[in-house]
Amino acid sequence: MRSLGTGFWIAVVVAAVGFLVVPYQILDTPNEQKMGFIQKIFYFHVPCAGMLFLSTFVCAGGSIAYLFKGSERGDRLAHAAGELSVLFGVCVLTSGPLWGRKAWGTWWQWDARLTSSLLLFLMMVGYLLARRYGGPAARKLAAALALFAAINVPLVYKSVDIWEGIHPKTTVVMTLDKSMRLAFASAFVLITLLWALLLTVRVRLENARAELAELRLDAEDLVEAQR
Amino acid sequence: MTKTSIRQWIRGAVLTAVALAAWSGTALAQEFEKIENIPKQEIPAGRFVSIAYGIIWVAVLTYVVIVAGGVKRVSQQIADLKRRLGSKG
Repeated sequence: MRSLGTGFWIAVVVAAVGFLVVPYQILDTPNEQKMGFIQKIFYFHVPCAGMLFLSTFVCAGGSIAYLFKGSERGDRLAHAAGELSVLFGVCVLTSGPLWGRKAWGTWWQWDARLTSSLLLFLMMVGYLLARRYGGPAARKLAAALALFAAINVPLVYKSVDIWEGIHPKTTVVMTLDKSMRLAFASAFVLITLLWALLLTVRVRLENARAELAELRLDAEDLVEAQR
Repeated sequence: MTKTSIRQWIRGAVLTAVALAAWSGTALAQEFEKIENIPKQEIPAGRFVSIAYGIIWVAVLTYVVIVAGGVKRVSQQIADLKRRLGSKG
């Protein structure tokens, strides 16, 4: 496997420093008037939701390349991004109910945003399960599922504005108080950097697996030739 | 009145008394009464924020460990296969 490069290791150092600095920045922000201290979940809940959306889009992009151009690289990228969708989906769907329990008095409500987010997460779990247990033919089926999941993303995002449920609207980010902006921006950059690092390493793993499969074929050919 | 009928009468009376007691208990439970000077129940926000933050980092770290394990295993297999292919010419 080829080396990950200097840029990757610089990003690792920046992310490590970020893990130490950003929590202090978040603690330094003032408490929100109605929700109080529990609102601090917002600083990493929202970036995780952003990465869930981004991963789903990247997964769909790779799936399009695989479905319409037969790109194996696209398929490997889609697989890696699909896993990250599930990872960040877990983060969103656990931090959200913890926030809701304190702010709304309930762990879960079948609100439009919550339900559509759960559906998106389940679609991405379905994508991975189809790939894992469906055999080689299921890769195309999984790719098609990723496209539907990506179509669902704008619906999840706009659901709070369209159906007006219990979840805060999309405008809370744009109208964020000045004293909260820096911590939120730092957390978003940190989570995005983490996402990029994870995606890079995961794609490398997929590439290495493809290389291993090719080497195995070469080994089989060599054994056949020597008979 | 025979002994058996007396026993049946007593058993019926006891059951009725128990049923009435249970009914009145339920009735009491359905009424809300105001109680003064009870401390306000608060959900600890700090603990919830810490749990949410912890879950995120545990999930990410677990994923990193799984991927790193996969990278190490595949790299070893590639090196091993290349060595065997090299030795066979």
